[in-house]
Amino acid sequence: MAKRLLLIAALLCAGAVHAADAPIVSQAAPVKRIDNPDGFTEPLKSLKFNPGLDAQEFERSSLNALNVYDPLESWNRRVYHFNYRFDEWVFLPVVNGYKYVTPSFVRTGVSNFFGNLGDVPNLLNSLLQFKGKRSMETTGRLIVNTTLGIAGLWDPATMMGLKKQSEDFGQTLGFYGVPAGPYLVLPILGPSNLRDTGGLVFDFTAESQINFLNVAQVSEDHPELYLLRAIDRRYTTSFRYGQMNSPFEYEKVRYVYTEARKLQVSE
Amino acid sequence: MLRFLRLAALSGGLFLSASVMAVDIDPSSYGFPLTNPFEATIATTPPDLRAKVPEDADIDQDDYSLTLRPEREFTLPDNFWAVKKLRYRLAKQDHPAPLIFLIAGTGAPYNSTLNEYLKKLYYGAGYNVVQLSSPTSYDFMSAASRFATPGVTKEDAEDLYRVMQAVRAQQSKLQVTEYYLTGYSLGALDAAFVSKLDETRRSFNFKKVLLINPPVNLYTSITNLDKMVQTDVKGITNSTTFYELVLQKLTRYFREKGYIDLNDALLFDFQQSKQHLSNEQMAMLIGTSFRFSAADIAFTSDLINRRGLITPPKTPISEGTSLTPFLKRALQCDFDCYVTEQVIPMWRARTDGGSLLQLVDQVSLYALKDYLASSKKIAVMHNADDVILGPGDLGFLRKTFGDRLTVYPYGGHCGNMNYRVNSDAMLEFFRG
Repeated sequence: MAKRLLLIAALLCAGAVHAADAPIVSQAAPVKRIDNPDGFTEPLKSLKFNPGLDAQEFERSSLNALNVYDPLESWNRRVYHFNYRFDEWVFLPVVNGYKYVTPSFVRTGVSNFFGNLGDVPNLLNSLLQFKGKRSMETTGRLIVNTTLGIAGLWDPATMMGLKKQSEDFGQTLGFYGVPAGPYLVLPILGPSNLRDTGGLVFDFTAESQINFLNVAQVSEDHPELYLLRAIDRRYTTSFRYGQMNSPFEYEKVRYVYTEARKLQVSE
Repeated sequence: MLRFLRLAALSGGLFLSASVMAVDIDPSSYGFPLTNPFEATIATTPPDLRAKVPEDADIDQDDYSLTLRPEREFTLPDNFWAVKKLRYRLAKQDHPAPLIFLIAGTGAPYNSTLNEYLKKLYYGAGYNVVQLSSPTSYDFMSAASRFATPGVTKEDAEDLYRVMQAVRAQQSKLQVTEYYLTGYSLGALDAAFVSKLDETRRSFNFKKVLLINPPVNLYTSITNLDKMVQTDVKGITNSTTFYELVLQKLTRYFREKGYIDLNDALLFDFQQSKQHLSNEQMAMLIGTSFRFSAADIAFTSDLINRRGLITPPKTPISEGTSLTPFLKRALQCDFDCYVTEQVIPMWRARTDGGSLLQLVDQVSLYALKDYLASSKKIAVMHNADDVILGPGDLGFLRKTFGDRLTVYPYGGHCGNMNYRVNSDAMLEFFRG
């Protein structure tokens, strides 16, 4: 019996080891390598091209992608430039100061703490969309992180395999078929649309009504908590203005935001 | 008799020089897991096979800006405010150390992913590192380029050289023992020309120069890139565009997975799933990314020089002006269109004529053949399956560089730079 158990354990271990360094087997067809005297394999030869090389698919897709409903474009662009400057001159210097004065474990603790608070609207919106499994997992996260993680300062839930899954009221509205509406660039908060802006207001109100861990109430007397939250939000957001290094960054951000929201709603 | 001896010496010399062969890395011992060049180009090395590099938090680094073209403050429209000064990033050691300049690839800024990676790699090995934008990038064109028409590599190298000198002047307190230079993709071609320029100007006396995946014939490279958006992609219909197709695949993939998790391993997992992209689709994606760079270059060059091909010269542009109509025009212009409509006319006007072939000869590595063959401090790392090469390009490199060329069997275009074998070789070259 013991022998058999040992054998099973060994097999399981072998399986685990095997899985760890499993080769990456792509599903794409292998690319044929052509033998040239100088060693060049001519990768483009393996592709199928449009016979006339005159297809306008790139142009068609890109022009199509530029059709985002944006009636307030002129206003939005001004706000976009305002945000860009605010980011360069105020937000990022403050975040750098924050990074300078706090050790990394404190910053992680702060991020975890606010992340845990954020799981409340995540749960609420998962419930509103009747996503059972996700609601269970987010409930699990809240319980584990609030107790074991000491009011959310640590995030043991992620280590246990309960991944954070964001749901906001904008997504809930989208789930019930509310269209995105016109694209909006919100001061300081960045890209949004009419539906998601409404969602933002709802989530904010809900959070202060639920008053989880008394944070909303304490924040009223200590507005510096809002400030810390804003700094943490910027600290954890990797987006930098100018990173796309394109004169058309506004259009690109608009497209990416719109499509990312569609993806989040549908998933 | 004497003549015979001379002949013997000559033939011996020829024989010896012919025996200096490029280093070809054997596919079986190389161990790079992605044999598909398109996948390698898009996803680069799987996370656990990458070289170990320091975290950003452990690097003493900052962004600085240089005013190189003060007149652009007044001639550029308001919404260019962010690129009227040239930014660069410097990572400093706390002791006297060598300094290495990194030049980014086509359209890429100083803080592009690959430049960031190279910074970490060299900083970890004890170098001061300066990251520079490519002369083809939007910020460099606006803030540092004299003609704002990148493509004439010699001129681009002069612009770069001025930037490097300005960096050194601004960082005069930095203790530098010696200078090194490297670049990837188009940045590697630039690095070769900068090194040549340094032989006469002697500002830096670069001790070693490494070119990673350079284009050999610039025209072949841009033709390849332009062609990549012409692949025959399955699934595109009248109602579904290419982007919609890719996004649909992503949506289905995340749905099957049950949650959205963006991380380094995502692309590999995606390619192993049922929703994976085909070779044609990946090529289209690579081509698309370069077409957007081409659009940025065409638009910016046209606007700064007031050529009126995309933006009518007297259009008032403020921060609220929609640039979408100009993007729509610029998107129709690929690299070939940019070269014929903007580079050639300017180059002809400045150099008293010349054909496309002459231009191609002048802006490609061919122009430096003798210099590269005799200059032992320059080395090249390239891949046998790089999508920007054409037949004969590797042959040119073999003949010119001899054993200073290393050819890796896989990696696509710059996909194996962060593989630990390549990273070790890069460090080893500068150390040795």
